[in-house]
Amino acid sequence: MRGFLLRRLFLALATLWLASSLVFAALLLLPGDPVQAILGLEASPAAREALERALGLDKPPWERYVDWLTRILRFDLGESIRYGKPVGELLGERLPLTLGLVLLGLGGALLLALPLALLALRFPLWDLALSGLMAFLQSVPTFFLGVVLLYALAVHLPLLPASGFPGFGEPREALRHLLLPALTLALSRAAILFRMARGSLLEVMGQDYIRTARAKGVPEAWVLVKHALKPASLPLITVLGLEGGFLLTGAVVVEVVFALPGMGSLALTALEARDYPLLQGLVLVMAALIVLFNLLVDLLYGLLDPRVAYA
Amino acid sequence: MGKRWILTLLLAFAPALAQTRGGELRVAVLAEPPVLDPSASTSQEIPRMLYDNVLQGLVKFNEKGEIVPALAERWQGSPSSLTWTFYLRRGVRFHNGAPFTAEDVVFKFNRARDPKSGHTHPEYYQDIQSVEAKDPYTVVFRLRQPNQDFLFNLARPDSVIGPKGRVEEQKTQPIGTGPFRFVAWERGVGVRLERFEGYYEPGLPYLDRVFFRFLPDANAQLAALRAGDIQVIGLGVSPENALVLQRDPNFKVVTGFTTTEITVGMNNSRPPFNDLRVRRAIQHAVDKKALVEGVMLGFGTPIGSHRSPGESCYEDLSGYYPYDPARARALLQEAGYGPNNPLRFTFTLAAPYPYERRLGEAIAAQLAQIGVQARLEVVEWATWLSRVFRGADYQMTIIGHSEPNDIGIYANPGYYFRYDSPRFRALYAQYLRTPDPKRACELMKEMQRLLAQEAVNVWVMNAPYIAAMRREVMGWWPNQPTPSLNVTRVYLGR
Repeated sequence: MRGFLLRRLFLALATLWLASSLVFAALLLLPGDPVQAILGLEASPAAREALERALGLDKPPWERYVDWLTRILRFDLGESIRYGKPVGELLGERLPLTLGLVLLGLGGALLLALPLALLALRFPLWDLALSGLMAFLQSVPTFFLGVVLLYALAVHLPLLPASGFPGFGEPREALRHLLLPALTLALSRAAILFRMARGSLLEVMGQDYIRTARAKGVPEAWVLVKHALKPASLPLITVLGLEGGFLLTGAVVVEVVFALPGMGSLALTALEARDYPLLQGLVLVMAALIVLFNLLVDLLYGLLDPRVAYA
Repeated sequence: MGKRWILTLLLAFAPALAQTRGGELRVAVLAEPPVLDPSASTSQEIPRMLYDNVLQGLVKFNEKGEIVPALAERWQGSPSSLTWTFYLRRGVRFHNGAPFTAEDVVFKFNRARDPKSGHTHPEYYQDIQSVEAKDPYTVVFRLRQPNQDFLFNLARPDSVIGPKGRVEEQKTQPIGTGPFRFVAWERGVGVRLERFEGYYEPGLPYLDRVFFRFLPDANAQLAALRAGDIQVIGLGVSPENALVLQRDPNFKVVTGFTTTEITVGMNNSRPPFNDLRVRRAIQHAVDKKALVEGVMLGFGTPIGSHRSPGESCYEDLSGYYPYDPARARALLQEAGYGPNNPLRFTFTLAAPYPYERRLGEAIAAQLAQIGVQARLEVVEWATWLSRVFRGADYQMTIIGHSEPNDIGIYANPGYYFRYDSPRFRALYAQYLRTPDPKRACELMKEMQRLLAQEAVNVWVMNAPYIAAMRREVMGWWPNQPTPSLNVTRVYLGR
C-alpha cells in the first residue's frame, strides 16, 4: 500500500511537471502577448517596452521557464500579469466555487442516475421512457441546457438567482446561487452515469448469486439494493473519476452562462490576456485535481472490491 | 394653454422627482479591464466605468461630445495658440480628502509627456514644452507648436488627473475627483462605486451606489436583466435582443451614436489591395444599406470615410461609392480579374466581436455576387492583435475603431492598413498646426475626402450605441461620444 502511494505520488508530480511545461511551450507558440493585451490597441512602442521590462518579458523564454520552475519548488506560483496579484491568491479565491460546483454537480448526477437506473430495471416501461430522456439530455449541449433552466427557474419562476456569486461568507445565499448551475451540470452528466449504472446492473443481475438470492425468496427491491448495487458500482466509480475531470471542463461553460467567478472564467481571461503565470498555475491546479480524482477512485476500488490489490 | 401645459408636465414628472435620490444601480458591462487607470492601458473598458464617474481631467466631453469644463473652471488660449492658461475650480477635493491643486496638474502632465514613464499616449502631449503652476489655482501650458487637438487630448480619458505622486496605486485603487468614489474591484465579478459626499457639484450624484458587473455572455446579460439581477445592460445589446426588449413594457432600449467606425481594413501594401482599382471595386460591391437593414436590423448609420456623424467637422461620404455590382465587375476586369481568374483572398475576422463577425460574413456573401472569393478565417483576439494589428500579416479584416477623432492613424504608414500617402500626411500636419479652427475643420473634411477617393478601407457604418434597461432607470446617456457609461445624473424613478 505504501509503495503504491509513493509510486502514485511520483507519477502525479511527473504529470504535473509535464502538463505545465507543455502549457509553457504552447504559450510561446501562440501568437499574441500579454503586453498588447494590457495596453490595448493603440499603445506606443515606448509604453510597450516599459511594460515588457517591468514584467520581465524581455528575458529569453528558457530563463523565464527556469525562473518559474525554481519558484514552483518554493511553492510560489508567481504573480498574475493581468491582475497584478499573486497567482496563489487568485486561485484561492476561485477554487472553492468551482470545487463546490463540481462536487454538487457530481453528487446531483449520482442522486439522479442511481435511483432512476434502479427504477428502470424494476419496471420495463419506465426503462424505455428514462433511456429516451437520458439520451436526449446527453445530446443537448450544456450551455443550452443552462440557458433553458435559467429562463425556467430564474426568470419566469423566480425561484433561484440568475447569476453571480456572493461568496461563501453567506453559506445559504452561496448555495442558492450554486443550485441552478449545479443542476445544469448534474443533468448533463446524469445521462452517462445512468447508462453506465443500468448497464452494469443488468450484467450483475444475470449472475448466479442473484439467482440464488431470488431463489431464497429475497424481495426483488432488496435484491437490487443489497446484492446488485455494490458490485455494479465498481465500473460506476471509474466513470465517476473520469467525470470529475470532465466536470472541471464542463464547469467552464456553466460558469460563463451563469456568470460565476470560478476557475473556468479565470482560465478564459488568462488565455485571452496571455497571462503566462496565471495559466500555468491554473493548469497545475487542474491537473492536480484530476490526478487526485483518479487516486481517490483507485483507493475506493480497493475498499469496495477486496480482490483489488495495491501491488 | 401655457399654464395647463406646465401643470401636465409637473404631474408627469412629480412621481419621478419624488424618487430621484438614493438607491443602487447595477449595470452589466461586457468585459473586465486589465487595470483601472486609463493612463496605464488603452482598454476601452476602463473609461466605460470610470471616466467622469470617478476620474476627471481639466476638461471633459458632455453627452453631445462637446468639450466642457471639468476641473478647470475656464481656460484661455493665446492668439498664437501657443500658451494656454487654465483656471482651476476651487475647493475641489480628491476622494482621499486631499485638496486638488495646480501641483497635481503639473505632476500629471510632466509624467504624461515623458515617453519613459509608461503613460499610454505620450504622443498626445509631445507638443507641450512646459507646464507650470502660476499659483495653486492657475496652470500655464506652453506648446512648441500649435496643436489643433490639444484641448481634445486634454478631454480624453488618458488625461484624467489623480493625486500628485500616485502612480502604481491608481492602477488598482483609483482616486479621483468625480461624483463617485471607487470602493472595490472584485476580480472577475465587478467594480463597486459609492457616492462621494464631497463632490463639488451640489446635489450630485443622485445614486448612492453603482455596481458595474462583468457579464461577457449576451444570454447571461439578458437573463440577468429579466431576473432583476441588474437594471441596465450598459452597451452591446444585440439588435435582436433590442427588438425583443423594446416590445416589453418593463424595459426600454436606448440607442444613439458612438465614435466607432466599423472598418473593413485592407492591407494597402500587399496584393491584391495595393491596386486602387481592386479597392474601388470592393467599395462598389458592398451594399451598406442592406448590411444595416439585414445584419443590424436597422441599427447603425452607413458612413463613407473614417469619421462618425456625431463628431465635429464630419463630411457625409456614405454615397461616394454607390452600390453598383456592374461597376465593381468592370473595375475588377480592368485590374485583371474575371470569371476565369477570380479575385481570391483571406478575410480575417476577430472572434470576440459579434457585430463585426456577422458583418464580415455578410460582406463576404455580397462580394461572392461579383465573383470574389473571400475565404473567412476567424481568429482569437490576442492572435488578431499580434498578427493583424501589429504585424500587418493579413489581406482583409474587419474591426470597429472606437477611438474618437482618430483620423491621424492614416498619417502613420506603419499602421496596419499600411496606407502610405505623403499627401495625407501633409494635410494632417497642416490640420494639426493651424491655429484657426475654421481652417482646421476644412482640412479635416479634406482628409476624409482623400481617404474616400483612395478607397483605403471600406467604412461600413457607425456602430450603433444600444443599451437596455428597466423602465425606472432615468437619465441614461443615449450617445457614447466617448466610451463612458456616465451615471452622474442617472436616477431611479418609479
